[in-house]
Amino acid sequence: MTVTLGHYLALASVLFTTGAVGFLVRRNALVALMSIELMLNAVNLTLVAANRWQPSMVPAGAEPATPEALAAAAGYASQSAIAHHGQVFAFFVIAVAAAEAAVGLAIVLAFYRLRKTIRTDAADTLKG
Amino acid sequence: MIQTLAPLAPILLMAFGAVALMLIDAFQDEEGGLAMPAALVHFVAGSTALLLWKRGLPLDSGLLHGYLVIDKTSLFLDAVIGLGGGLASLLAGGYLHEHKLERGEYYPLLGFASCGAMMLVSASDTLMLFVALETMSLGVYAMTGYRRTSARALEAALKYFLLGSFAAALLLAGAALLYTVTGHTDFAGIAQALHPTGEQPPDPFLVDKARISILAMLLILAALAFKVGAVPFHMWVPDTYEGAPTSTTAYMSVVVKTAAFGVFLRLMLTVFGDAGSASSAAGWPALMAWVAVLTMTVGNLAALVQTSVKRMLAYSSIAHAGYLLVGVVLAPRGGGVGAVAVASVLFYLLAYTVSNVGAFGALMLAGRRGAEAVSFDDLAGLGKRHPWAAFALTFFLLSLTGVPPTAGFFGKFYIVRTALDSGLGLLAAIVVVNSAVSAYYYLGVIVKMFMKDPAPGATRAQPMASGTIFFTLVGAALGVLYLGLLPERVLSLALAAAERAAP
Repeated sequence: MTVTLGHYLALASVLFTTGAVGFLVRRNALVALMSIELMLNAVNLTLVAANRWQPSMVPAGAEPATPEALAAAAGYASQSAIAHHGQVFAFFVIAVAAAEAAVGLAIVLAFYRLRKTIRTDAADTLKG
Repeated sequence: MIQTLAPLAPILLMAFGAVALMLIDAFQDEEGGLAMPAALVHFVAGSTALLLWKRGLPLDSGLLHGYLVIDKTSLFLDAVIGLGGGLASLLAGGYLHEHKLERGEYYPLLGFASCGAMMLVSASDTLMLFVALETMSLGVYAMTGYRRTSARALEAALKYFLLGSFAAALLLAGAALLYTVTGHTDFAGIAQALHPTGEQPPDPFLVDKARISILAMLLILAALAFKVGAVPFHMWVPDTYEGAPTSTTAYMSVVVKTAAFGVFLRLMLTVFGDAGSASSAAGWPALMAWVAVLTMTVGNLAALVQTSVKRMLAYSSIAHAGYLLVGVVLAPRGGGVGAVAVASVLFYLLAYTVSNVGAFGALMLAGRRGAEAVSFDDLAGLGKRHPWAAFALTFFLLSLTGVPPTAGFFGKFYIVRTALDSGLGLLAAIVVVNSAVSAYYYLGVIVKMFMKDPAPGATRAQPMASGTIFFTLVGAALGVLYLGLLPERVLSLALAAAERAAP
């Protein structure tokens, strides 16, 4: 069996859905944070996989065999010779996710100090 | 070098200004006192945007490589953000001092958030969009939870952070799907690859380009709807606005909203601005028209039953997002209507900025530490006890209602007129009916202040004395009156700004 872009996309959508459902269902703030990380990593997987199978470099009628074969058919010396926006995007996502986690954990920590719980259903004083 | 960097001046000034604020805070002995410098940085950055506009520099700098587009739309919005952010930092100076919250980190956070907002209205690449959105949001999350000893503030921050990160993840998923089917991250490249001209080779990947791009569009729309606070993604707005320090609420309601609408317009008009996706019968405008109607109706109906003035203003800001969305819905239309619709959104954002900063500022001014103006009952009899504070609040609430001759009137007027010109009488009527409903709760505050006496033994709001807040309110009031009496000049600027944005 050859692993194609479709396989990566399927795995990424499973991860993304797991994260989204986890975020919506679980009531623990830390689990919600982890669910968001899972969603972001699903996005990273999509970006990196899509970078290897870039549609813009596929000549007409080419079979989607391997990234290397596609690159060769499109006239590139190697797969690494083509643009890597997806790979770079993934690095940005990782960096920003770290910053986001820092702010998020600080908020969760401050919330815990006051309320002695990190359950999101304890956050119920604002209503109306 | 100067030529290539010049178009970036507003963003760079904002970034360096925020760094400078951080350094000043690190090396000064006493806490606080940064409100004036922070406001100065905002006003300088905003005026630089106007200066760039006037000088007519070659705006698309080669240095940017399509990551940021500096055009008249973004310069207009930069100026609005500079104005809103500057007024909000002045309000923060008075508010944080009164409530013994004056710590140095607030103003750099505010500055970096404004820098993110300015990048966001210029973003023309999904990568830049994401980075700018997070730069803005992370600052605002921290500003929301700034009062660390208050369970309500932290609850507001927790809710805003969790839902905001979720929305950012949805946006990223949409961007990644677009990259998968097009191989591009820049808006123009995505649009071109999605709707190519000429003979196309058959898709070699067996991925359904049309369906994936629709899915991506829905994900991105949901994320943007969250950021502007549109129904059904509005649940965070009342809680966050109520729990956050009032200065943060004022900032969020003007700067974050302006930036979110700016990027909404640019993204939807460039990436999904083709005839198919932007068709007013079956494309995203049709969907967003329903969202707009729901947003203004739900916002107004919920605002009717509030007992807290701050929460009422939060729901009313949802309603205003609904009016603005009407303009967004009309933006992709051809025949000149689109440009007018974008111009009316830009005008509304400016009018809303001065009115809303004023309303929150007047609410701050009406209460002091320990005797804050929170509920409608706190304000009872304020007109007799402290007529000036009551008068200020009345003035800005009238502008939010849309009573002439205030900024709010022309904001709504242009939106309604554009809807009528496009033959959407029903949508225009819904906006007008909603404004009438909103008059009920805005006037409710005024009636309470001037015609009701406080119940014996009840808590009463005591106005605080603050020079910066007073100065800010005077500035905002001048803006409201200027836009209400002489709207033509600003409107012609908005029209010039809208020319390139609309197709």
